[in-house]
Amino acid sequence: MSRWWFLSAAFVLWIVSGLALVRLPADERIRSRSDQVPPRIVSMAPNLTEILFALGLGERVVGVTQDSDYPAAAASKPRVGTFWQPGVEAVIALRPDLVVTLAFEQQQEFSRRLGRMGYSRLMVNIETITGLFDAIVAVGKAAGASGQAEMLCANMRTEINQIRSATASNQPVKVLWVVQREPLRVAGRDTFVNEMIELAGGENAIGPTLHKYPPVGAEQVIAARPEVIIEPAMLPSVLDQQRRQALEYWNRFANVPAVTTGRIHVIDGDTVSRLSPRLPAGIRTIARCLRPDSFGE
Amino acid sequence: MHPPLTSRILLVRTAVAAMLLVAVMLACALIGPQDISLKSALGMTQSNAAPTPDHEILVRVRIPRVLLAAMVGAALAASGVVFQALLRNPLADPYILGVSSGAGLGAMIAVVGGLSWTLWGRSPIAVFAFAGALGTVWLVWGIGRITGRYQVTGLLLAGVVVNAFFSAMIMFLVSIAKSHQLYATLFWLMGNMTEEDFFVLWVGGGCITAGIIALFFLGPQLNIISVGHEDAQSIGVPVARIELAAFAVSAFITAVAVSLSGLVGFVGLIVPHAVRLLFGPDHRQLLPLSSLAGAMFLVIADTVARMVVAPAQLPVGVVTAMIGGPFFLLLLIRYSKRVYWPT
Repeated sequence: MSRWWFLSAAFVLWIVSGLALVRLPADERIRSRSDQVPPRIVSMAPNLTEILFALGLGERVVGVTQDSDYPAAAASKPRVGTFWQPGVEAVIALRPDLVVTLAFEQQQEFSRRLGRMGYSRLMVNIETITGLFDAIVAVGKAAGASGQAEMLCANMRTEINQIRSATASNQPVKVLWVVQREPLRVAGRDTFVNEMIELAGGENAIGPTLHKYPPVGAEQVIAARPEVIIEPAMLPSVLDQQRRQALEYWNRFANVPAVTTGRIHVIDGDTVSRLSPRLPAGIRTIARCLRPDSFGE
Repeated sequence: MHPPLTSRILLVRTAVAAMLLVAVMLACALIGPQDISLKSALGMTQSNAAPTPDHEILVRVRIPRVLLAAMVGAALAASGVVFQALLRNPLADPYILGVSSGAGLGAMIAVVGGLSWTLWGRSPIAVFAFAGALGTVWLVWGIGRITGRYQVTGLLLAGVVVNAFFSAMIMFLVSIAKSHQLYATLFWLMGNMTEEDFFVLWVGGGCITAGIIALFFLGPQLNIISVGHEDAQSIGVPVARIELAAFAVSAFITAVAVSLSGLVGFVGLIVPHAVRLLFGPDHRQLLPLSSLAGAMFLVIADTVARMVVAPAQLPVGVVTAMIGGPFFLLLLIRYSKRVYWPT
């Protein structure tokens, strides 16, 4: 029996000495002082890259994620993994003074890991349009570009207001926003897409749901009676193919107004699938689908 | 058949395996998506003692991660050995009694609940996964006990059904989770390594090492039990007590491993079999050698996971299944003639 006592004693001793020697992780040791303007910035998401470039900080961006394809200059920056599987070694090798991340679980954890090593980072939550404006201001402040941030926000607001005032007096158009066709999944009320639809003078054909992007059945589609159906395409290169498939698919819903009037739009998903400074362009694209006559091709 | 095991053979084999493991860990710490030079990593030559990027990558990212992979691999392989022996079933692995689905459910609850605190440097996912894993094993063990004192079948069935039930609950939570929450859990469910704090590694390593040593102490009794309950009972082995101890310890180290790295599959199934095929079924040898081999296997698999799609990374569970499967089939074809299966 003695070896069991010995093992238990050794184990307890090990844990105790761990508490004394290694100690609990000390979070939040910031290496560079936060009042300095960070000369080397790494962006951990495509829309964060867009914000940094729109603030005129493109020169100081030293690393971006794999899908950062806009503006064109961003595509030539060193890559640090995807926004949902970031590579910590690649980020460290770039010696960043500021790492900008989003706030969802994966990136929160990533930010925490960098924080433990003493990197200064900024986490912004971009899930709504208000969140986007706050994020632009926060990024501007952290990167020493507050003036540019104010200006960018003001310009975006003006442009959005223009679109909104053009349709304010009209009856909202009922829109079904299709995220995925088989099985059918659409944008619900609690999404930024819903906000964009409303700003563009539309109304989500689907009522409040449990899911953010609820899976819906044929019955709900027919009951929702959408006047316009919009499908964002993942890649511009598959736009035509997807348009053909969409028309074929939606033909089965002969009683849906959008189908009878042929108002099924497959659009380039680039500006409408991520919340970025190109938001006004995205809203304009949607407005054009809803009212081709007043927004023109 | 394999030659009889002497303590000398055991010692030599364990020592060789341990040295191999150290070599593998050193080599894998130097391989990664970023090229680092050992000289600048160890030199700290930059002015005013600021660590070089190479130093930081080696010490703060690679070494913790390699250590973590070794610990998790050892824990899963060791408890795989024990589960295969106690359940007398070659298909048994550390997850068979519901650890995986219990841990997965815990992790999903933490994610969907949107919790964000830390306990001793561990995220809610890890804490809930640990609790879920232990809770589920305890539940299954309890049900198994009710079905019959020595009924392995009852225990296995309870494990399978609890697994299925909890998996359904996981699927329900998945279906109502937000899309970005899904990414986090998807990687967790496939087994995912990150660098951890040294304190976490210290405690986790302590728990796992102590557990494996405890299981090693039980090796001789496991040998007897794996032949048959009645025989063991008749020569005076306290079967129920040994079984309970072995189950508790291996469930504990599995839960620790799972809370550190998510559900890394396959290690606990194939490593014990591979070692058994190569060196024979004696548990005094099977336990240490499987632990070391499991550690080596997972360190290598994790290095592959870091490299293949760099600078992004794969979940390590994908790699263990993809390298492990074919490798194991080769071993099976080559060596199965001279092996004794625990039946």
